[in-house]
Amino acid sequence: MKMWKKLSALAVGAMLFATGIFGGIVVYQTANYNISQTISNYQRQVTSTTYAIGQEIRNNAPYGFGDETNRSFLQYTLRKYGGADYMLFQNGELTGNLTNYDVADQEAMPEWGMKQVSYVIQKSSDHYILIMGKQFASAGSGSYDLVLVKDISQIYNDIRRQAYMLLALYVAVAAVTVNIIFWVTKWMMRPLNELQWTAAALSGGDFRRRVHVRFRDEVGKVAEAFNKMAEQIERQVEELEEVSERRKQLLGSLAHELKTPMTSIIGYSDTLLHVKISKEQEKKALEYINSECKRLGRLSGKMMNLIGLYNDESVHFVEYQVQELFNRVEILERYHVAEKGMQLVTSCAMGAMPMDVDLMESLLVNLIDNAIKASKPGDTIDVVAVNNRITVRDWGKGIPPEEIPKITEAFYMVDKSRSRKAGGVGLGLALCKQIAALHHGHLEIESWLDDGTSISVVFDGPEGRMDG
Amino acid sequence: MAVKNRILVIEDDTAISDLICMNLTVAGYEVLPVFDGGQVEKVVQEEKSFDLALLDVMLPGKDGFELMDCMKENDIPVIYLTAKADVGSKIKGLRAGAEDYIVKPFEILELLVRVEKVLERTGKQKDEIEVGDVKIQLSKHQVTKNGETVRLKPMEYDLLVLLAKNKNVAFTRDQLLNQVWGSDYLGETRTIDVHIGQLRKKLGLSEIIKTIPKIGYRLEE
Repeated sequence: MKMWKKLSALAVGAMLFATGIFGGIVVYQTANYNISQTISNYQRQVTSTTYAIGQEIRNNAPYGFGDETNRSFLQYTLRKYGGADYMLFQNGELTGNLTNYDVADQEAMPEWGMKQVSYVIQKSSDHYILIMGKQFASAGSGSYDLVLVKDISQIYNDIRRQAYMLLALYVAVAAVTVNIIFWVTKWMMRPLNELQWTAAALSGGDFRRRVHVRFRDEVGKVAEAFNKMAEQIERQVEELEEVSERRKQLLGSLAHELKTPMTSIIGYSDTLLHVKISKEQEKKALEYINSECKRLGRLSGKMMNLIGLYNDESVHFVEYQVQELFNRVEILERYHVAEKGMQLVTSCAMGAMPMDVDLMESLLVNLIDNAIKASKPGDTIDVVAVNNRITVRDWGKGIPPEEIPKITEAFYMVDKSRSRKAGGVGLGLALCKQIAALHHGHLEIESWLDDGTSISVVFDGPEGRMDG
Repeated sequence: MAVKNRILVIEDDTAISDLICMNLTVAGYEVLPVFDGGQVEKVVQEEKSFDLALLDVMLPGKDGFELMDCMKENDIPVIYLTAKADVGSKIKGLRAGAEDYIVKPFEILELLVRVEKVLERTGKQKDEIEVGDVKIQLSKHQVTKNGETVRLKPMEYDLLVLLAKNKNVAFTRDQLLNQVWGSDYLGETRTIDVHIGQLRKKLGLSEIIKTIPKIGYRLEE
């Protein structure tokens, strides 16, 4: 069963129960009060009638006359002081009866008391009959019973009508209230429904859906917490998608990039196996197979590096002097630079910073190698560390402006055939970008055609990374 | 010797370009390698009459799709040769008017057969093939040795043409069966040996049609 149904059923049950009991008690009390009021009225009446008849008998009773006279007197007295509803008994004998009723069974009559007016209510079919009596004595003429017989059905009818009316009112009010309670509960539960739909949408992959927070009650707070959760999920899913998209692109590029050396290797080995070629051609084929295999090796090495960089566990940060890093890079690149007839000039105005020394070294070596490829003999390559940036500047041929955004993509080469001849596989700057990101930094690339390129690693610090 | 079919090889990777040129040359074609997409139009203008172009898609200068118009203008059939294996690229290439589409990495035999089929289909194929003193006239289905007609059975003729069109390339017996008799032929590879024997005897090609141990046969020149 749904929550709103449960809640409203509970509320309706409680309401009906409470008002039912209340109404019942009110009706019951009213009935009791009416009856007891009527009875005590009649009691007063009987008492005073008894008194008056007793006085009359004591003062004016005819003595010495026959029973007939006596009976007449008593009947007269009864008519005079009592009225239509009275019966009079003398020593248990019915002497006067002004009522419409007969005494069916003398024995069944209750014993009336002397002091108090006692009564019974007799129910016959749909009539309630009050029988009320008092005994009184008169010197010399024995004991008398004055009995009042009164049909009080009217009172009961009134009570019943009242009860019915109340019941009808109760049903009507209940019907209205039940509806109101149902609607109100349903309305109050609507945020929960919305929460459910939104959660369903979320699990269905629509991470943009949010719950509309109407009130700041408990449900509202749940909705708010839910929205926060949804935001978090959306962000994380986006991040995951981004990472997997990058990996997919990387894998796609890799598969594509593997095909070129594979084509050569398969083709030349196929040729050697099936085609009759000269000794020279055979040698050429073998050389190609050899060099293309080496290219595959380099490619897989760089790929492993790039994939390794996605795995943060393999990175170890230590506090290290930038000057010492420069020294290491200079030792590595000295011969390479000299061989090409170029000059490497470093200047360091940075202190120590946390870094993975091997990675930073390979970053700088990559940037310097790129600079060497772009430069002519006699050029200088500057490596400068100032504030929070390390810059590698060359004075070579530069990069066309439209190529700049693409050069950090894996496998991108500005001059494809030339770079391949220079031994590049197009992964250098992609690697550098990853390494910079690991050090909470990014690459800034500026280039002027025929006037060289400046690539800077800018360290944003841990806060900077959060913004980016 | 009869005039050879001329093929333009447009491929920027020198290793692959050399590979294609080497194989097409020994198979009896004349090739001209071009490494830069920007150079193609000039080459086509200067040296006319190419029968086919093998065209890489990703090229420096102009890419393979851009070069399609130039090829159409000069009536040169095109086979794309590319690492792009996705259906989209294939459709784009074939829609643009390429005769065929070969995905890298490919096998040499596949390349040769596709080249041959495209030449056949576009009617660019030279009518005469010479193997030593044997001359094959494709349009007449006629084989002559020293000017004298030699009568060959249909399957013997097909086998000879296949080997002669792919000179210096070794075929396995299964490949020969597939190409000549069709892939649904359920014969034994012994059939090949019998037919090769007949060709050698009738045309005196024992020295030229060589048995390559563990592989099959090759027509050498």
